[in-house]
Amino acid sequence: MTAYILHLAIMAGIYIILTISLNLIIGYAGQVSLGHAAFYGIGAYVSTLAALNWGLPFPVALVLAILLAGACGLALGLPTLRLKEDYLAIVTLGFGVIVDLILLNLDITGGPDGIGGIPAPVFFGVSFRAKPLYLILVGLMVLFTLVLTLRLVHSYHGRALRAIRDHEVTAQVMGVNTPAYKIAVFTLAAGLAGLAGSLYAHYISFINPETFGLHTSILVLSMVILGGMGSIVGSLLGAVTLTVVPELFRRFHDYQDLAYGALLVALLIWRPQGLLGGGKMSLKFITRRE
Amino acid sequence: MFFQQLINGLTTGSAYALIALGYTMIYGILGLINFAQGEIYMCGAFVAVLLLATGKVNFITAFAAGMGSAALLGVVLERVAFRPLRGAHPLVPLISAIGASIFLQSLALLLFGPNNRPFPVQFEFHTITVGDVVISALQGAILLAALILMALLMLFVRYTRYGKAIVACALDRDTARLMGINVDRMVALTFLIGSALSGAAGIMMAIYYNATYPRMGLLPGLKAFSAAILGGVGNIPGAILGGLLLGVAESLGAGYLSSGYKDAIAFVILILVLLIRPQGILKGKGH
Repeated sequence: MTAYILHLAIMAGIYIILTISLNLIIGYAGQVSLGHAAFYGIGAYVSTLAALNWGLPFPVALVLAILLAGACGLALGLPTLRLKEDYLAIVTLGFGVIVDLILLNLDITGGPDGIGGIPAPVFFGVSFRAKPLYLILVGLMVLFTLVLTLRLVHSYHGRALRAIRDHEVTAQVMGVNTPAYKIAVFTLAAGLAGLAGSLYAHYISFINPETFGLHTSILVLSMVILGGMGSIVGSLLGAVTLTVVPELFRRFHDYQDLAYGALLVALLIWRPQGLLGGGKMSLKFITRRE
Repeated sequence: MFFQQLINGLTTGSAYALIALGYTMIYGILGLINFAQGEIYMCGAFVAVLLLATGKVNFITAFAAGMGSAALLGVVLERVAFRPLRGAHPLVPLISAIGASIFLQSLALLLFGPNNRPFPVQFEFHTITVGDVVISALQGAILLAALILMALLMLFVRYTRYGKAIVACALDRDTARLMGINVDRMVALTFLIGSALSGAAGIMMAIYYNATYPRMGLLPGLKAFSAAILGGVGNIPGAILGGLLLGVAESLGAGYLSSGYKDAIAFVILILVLLIRPQGILKGKGH
């Protein structure tokens, strides 16, 4: 039972990183990414291949995963983020399909069978295979993500981002380089998703393309909307809720996606600020009518 | 080989074009991507297949019923998932449409199961061989039906009162309202027509691939969106051109490059178009 709770806590931590990174794109840059699981997958596969095939230590594999996922985000963001927000949603969705196909077709990724036997992280001769130790590692990474994003959001750059989200033209008039900001945030978010992917791979020790498909992208999107767009604390709550609640309703597993779909529509109509985001965390821009 | 792939591409391309018309018309009038367009396509196919499987209806009735239920679904969707959110930040209806798409897909999965359903009616189609190119009459029929539907749509938009009213709303919604056009009704009509066309495409592809399943709309929906962008979003002839071109490109790419990456071709084209000519081949309004 303790092991089960520890497992849930570790997965919640990984989802918190994913949710916060997606929230940076949605709640701060005002864009939608539907391929977030692809960056998560890139992180997982890069880290796995670095550790297994090249024998690199975990910290190096982790950094490689972040850098490569971030680079893919940059490559994808450059052509699309200069255009209207809808384009990014479709392009990222398409990107997710492409990444899925590549993972399924390449030899090095093991195709649909995936890759097993991924080693646990080792620091100073201590293996982090044990769940309590891994939870500490994930906790530190969550803390790192939280500090990073909260510092960012409350800095000059964070204010510039909020200005873009609230009114892009006004932000431009005030001298904010809007495409550069959007691309930078998208790259950062992709890198953080890569970090989460690396943590997942070395924890579960087996990966296959199925984990990194559209289903996961939608799950993370639901976590963001549930917690509240543009609320970092809300993302934390959204991620934990949607990790724990489905476990309580295991019997209704088949209805999970149905519930997520209905949840998204219902929340946006009746409570666009998110279920858990109270008055202070709410975003006026969502409810404001033009 | 080349002409064979060309014919195959035109057949699937005509389905992409029909779905792309739905995207383009709705984008033109609301400035919004209806993410659930692929699920409307799936709904049309399922209704027709389930009706035909009972053995009590003929093909024409089932086809009409499929188109009709797709149209109805489109109108309901507009009422439930889009109208309450009109005027909000563009992100909001976009996410709501994604939610609706996931909901419909999982609903179909629960109701009909994950398995492929074959098309209940077997058609005896002749094949015509020209040189080494084999053209089945089925491909010809699909292409012809799609072209007829497209021609009807063009005539409707250009020469009828309602068609002109839709164009007026797409050009300037506020001015259209001042001229006495009921904008809400025109938006509903746009959803109705666009969804009926997608439903028709769904039925055609259910016959062509002999498979109907809950996730059948996902990829054609995404590819049709790429087609709409390729032709120029908001531009009706552009959507038709984009759909046919994309179908051909995909078919040729699968034939000459690699069939494993067939589904990636549309998205590579999409990204290239966005990089090089974001307004599309025929200039659209969405950029």
